[in-house]
Amino acid sequence: MLLELKGICKWIEQGGRRNFILKDINLTVQKGEFISIMGPSGSGKSTLLNVIGMLDEPSEGSYQFLHENVHQLKEKSKTALYKRYIGFVFQAYHLIDELTVYENIETPLIYQDIKGTERKAMVADMLDRFNIVGKKDLFPTQLSGGQQQLVGIARALIAKPELLLADEPTGNLNSKQGEEIMELFAELNKGGVTIIQVTHSEKNATYGSRIINLLDGHIQH
Amino acid sequence: MLKTFFKTGFRSLKRNFSFSLINISGLAIGLSAALVIYLIVQHELNFDKFHKNGDRIYRVVSKMEFPDLTIRNSGVPYPTAKAVKEETTGIEEASQFITTYETRVSVPQIGSQSPALFKKQKGLIYADENYFKIFNYEWLAGSSQTALKDPFQVVITEERAKTYFGNIPFTEMLGKTITYDDSVNTTVAGVVKFFTHNSDFTFQEFISKSTIDNTGLKEHIGWDQWGSINSSCQLFVKLNPGVQTSQLTKQIASIREKYREKNKENPKEKDQTEHQLQSLGDIHFNHDYGAFDNGRLAHKPTLWGLLAVAAFLLLLGCINFVNLTTAQAAQRAKEIGIRKTMGSTKFQLIGQFMTEAFLLTFVAALLSIALAPWIIKVFADFIPKGISFASLNQPHVWVFIIVLILLVTILAGTYPSFFLTRFQPVEVLKNQIAAGASMTRKTWLRKTLTITQFIIAQFLIIATLVVSKQISYSMNKDLGYNKEAIVYFNTRWNFFSDVPDNRRFVLLDKIKAIPEIRKFSLAGSSPASNNTSTNTLKFHDGKKEIETMVEKKYADSSYFDLYGMKMIAGKPLSNSDTIKEYYINETYARFLGFKNPADAVGKFMEGDFKVPISGVISDFHTKSTLEPIKPLAYSSAAKNSYTIHLLLPPRGPDPDSWKNILTKVELAYKELYPDDDFKAEFFDETIASFYKSEQNISRLLKWSTGLCIFISCLGLLGLVMYTTNQRTKEIGVRKVLGASVTQIVSLLSKDLLALVLLAFIIAAPLAWFAMNKWLLDYSYRTDFSWWIFAVTICGMLLIALVTLSIKTIRSASANPVKALRSE
Repeated sequence: MLLELKGICKWIEQGGRRNFILKDINLTVQKGEFISIMGPSGSGKSTLLNVIGMLDEPSEGSYQFLHENVHQLKEKSKTALYKRYIGFVFQAYHLIDELTVYENIETPLIYQDIKGTERKAMVADMLDRFNIVGKKDLFPTQLSGGQQQLVGIARALIAKPELLLADEPTGNLNSKQGEEIMELFAELNKGGVTIIQVTHSEKNATYGSRIINLLDGHIQH
Repeated sequence: MLKTFFKTGFRSLKRNFSFSLINISGLAIGLSAALVIYLIVQHELNFDKFHKNGDRIYRVVSKMEFPDLTIRNSGVPYPTAKAVKEETTGIEEASQFITTYETRVSVPQIGSQSPALFKKQKGLIYADENYFKIFNYEWLAGSSQTALKDPFQVVITEERAKTYFGNIPFTEMLGKTITYDDSVNTTVAGVVKFFTHNSDFTFQEFISKSTIDNTGLKEHIGWDQWGSINSSCQLFVKLNPGVQTSQLTKQIASIREKYREKNKENPKEKDQTEHQLQSLGDIHFNHDYGAFDNGRLAHKPTLWGLLAVAAFLLLLGCINFVNLTTAQAAQRAKEIGIRKTMGSTKFQLIGQFMTEAFLLTFVAALLSIALAPWIIKVFADFIPKGISFASLNQPHVWVFIIVLILLVTILAGTYPSFFLTRFQPVEVLKNQIAAGASMTRKTWLRKTLTITQFIIAQFLIIATLVVSKQISYSMNKDLGYNKEAIVYFNTRWNFFSDVPDNRRFVLLDKIKAIPEIRKFSLAGSSPASNNTSTNTLKFHDGKKEIETMVEKKYADSSYFDLYGMKMIAGKPLSNSDTIKEYYINETYARFLGFKNPADAVGKFMEGDFKVPISGVISDFHTKSTLEPIKPLAYSSAAKNSYTIHLLLPPRGPDPDSWKNILTKVELAYKELYPDDDFKAEFFDETIASFYKSEQNISRLLKWSTGLCIFISCLGLLGLVMYTTNQRTKEIGVRKVLGASVTQIVSLLSKDLLALVLLAFIIAAPLAWFAMNKWLLDYSYRTDFSWWIFAVTICGMLLIALVTLSIKTIRSASANPVKALRSE
């Protein structure tokens, strides 16, 4: 088991009333799964993904990640935990505009205190694998959307995470680019990476091994 | 990690080029001001700090209390030194020396009939042998043990030695002859090194004091007079370790009581003179006593003022940084969010932002070092001569620069770093712009800081206006005399010589033959002059004796007419060789108890013999209008008159007309005084020089106000650049809906102008209070006009509006379609 959510709720107080974004979510994810979270806008997909990625805190419920009680951890150990095990891919890529492709990919390694020579080797490896060696000195704005997302995925994978969280990774891409990204995800999954993606597209969801449908903060069975 | 910090830091500077430029210029101005001011303050505070056991060395000074005024003098009566040496305990050494003004020096040349002549040598003193025991000089030849023991010995500095004798070894100079004022032949007994540290002891030639015994100078300095105090007669003591100054002052007081000349009728009468000890460190700052004749002093309040200016300018630069960085938060938010999801800790992010602040400050510091020579040039009037660009290259200056960079980095960087790293990644990444906007909506801090900047700026504007107004008031006030087209010059006065020098009368006759000159006078100093001579005069009004310090001046029959001074009562002054009658000013007449000043005419002043008051002249200013008018008495005494005053015709269209007249005067002068240089001074320039410190304050204020406005406007520009960028879409939409350029410009400028206005409301009463207090120092002062405030706020708003328009007009007139498409 990789992670387990039990009775997760998330609400916002509005005029004294609780407005639920997530309501009583129970979810167990095994190592090696490829899960697609689907649902209409505002159903809480992204919030669920952020809770799993430890970027957001639930209002209630317990969260176990690799047998650690995440909800009891301090900020610092939480950061330590997710920077070691989790990689993020965003719809809007979220590359740092001031950094080159090479440096963007390198950034997570810097924060994990990995030595310079080792970093070089790892980044070179990743550039090679994604076929973007020629682009390494370009800045994000000089790349197409598909290329930017490739860099985003490369950056998410560089620290060899157990879990890859992707929030609509193909949302800003055309269908061909989207397909390529999905093929890549499937391949990564085969290689042992657990993937949870949020998606609107039925087609993209079919790449995964399991689909979770979310409606008004509930998981639909 | 550090390398990455620097790399991203540099990129960020380059990316936000205009913001970086604003920040760097603001900081660079503050830093260069701080740097130069540090050099000045450091230089001034270090004067005479290097003397061995300097904390035990004191100068004995005199303070005279009169009912109406206190007079301080850095000298003591001549016989005091001998008595102090012989009759006090607790002192290690006491040394007396007599300073001189300008002396003629001649040095016999080998193989030449005529000696080498140096007409006006300064830095010459008559010192006793203890001088070199109190003050440690490095000896290049001779020794402190033997030098100055005998009369007609002289010790000179290395510099003078080379001037007089060229490049021969110093030991060979011993025994050579130097002649002073053509009459005193001395032999060189030693060569010392001039002090290399900052010092007011700028003496170059030390003649043994015992020489005085054998010259005419003996009469002049009052060899045995306990009643005469002259600032050229200096006494220094070095106390034994552990001795309190009060122990010595008590002993000196009893010595004075023992020897002073007492009033024969009333021997118990209180002594007005009291001697005090002035510490070595106080000499460079105490304007009551001065250093040695004409030595340049530092003014502590000015130094503190300078430090405040530096602090203000630095603060303003830091405020710009804080404002602009937090305003940019929205742009940076995304990057912060991403970095946080990548596992960056808060402290790593803080480190990154601090690095950026450091880089900016560092670049600004480099710039400020480059600017330093220019600033040193601009402020040459304030900056002591010893400071140049080379002064920067000293270890303590580098330490100061490093400390300054770190300090500014912390001051400017801390708040933005913590502010920016507070962002929660989820919020930022979910909806960048909305989240960024919500983060920047809390603008109270930015507003407060901007208001602070403009409070300082407008305070300074008001202060500058008031100071300028006061200066122009002082200089244009009716001073009681004419100051236009009057020129005067001194003729030679040799007090060593017993033979009367009558060349000046001949010169005056020659000048009278120059047709262009309207009026002439041979008298003492001009009505307002730098040198003052005061005496105590006694007056008996029938009941009691009134004794006052009175400034004494010398006139001749044409003097009052030449200067346009008004006589209130009495008969015209007639020429005389020695003092026969007094012409007193109104203040003195009133002081003597005459309600109607004219009643003083015909009364007698007491003294060695009775002198009648023959006239009363209207009050006039003898110094700057900062000082109140004091009792004064004119008399005619050709014996004491060595200054020739001339009234020139009004300046005509020919710019050289005055120059041509003065050339004729100089020719006449040279015929009679072939060895002396002709130096004429214009009276109005002399008066202007009284306001030098005010002029300096005014110049300093103008510069700091200008810089302050500039930095504040840079900040304003930064803020408006930021807000217009943020509101690009809004501007586009408004334009599509039909808003005009003016409407949009006013929309964008309104908020910021309101801040300037609010700052004015706070600054005005503060400035009013402070400047009223400043004006109180002046006996004759200008008033606080309403227009000062009007000019300040209108000027400031105008400057702010122009600054804002650099950005607003462009974005208001941009094509809205473009703005909307890019959104």
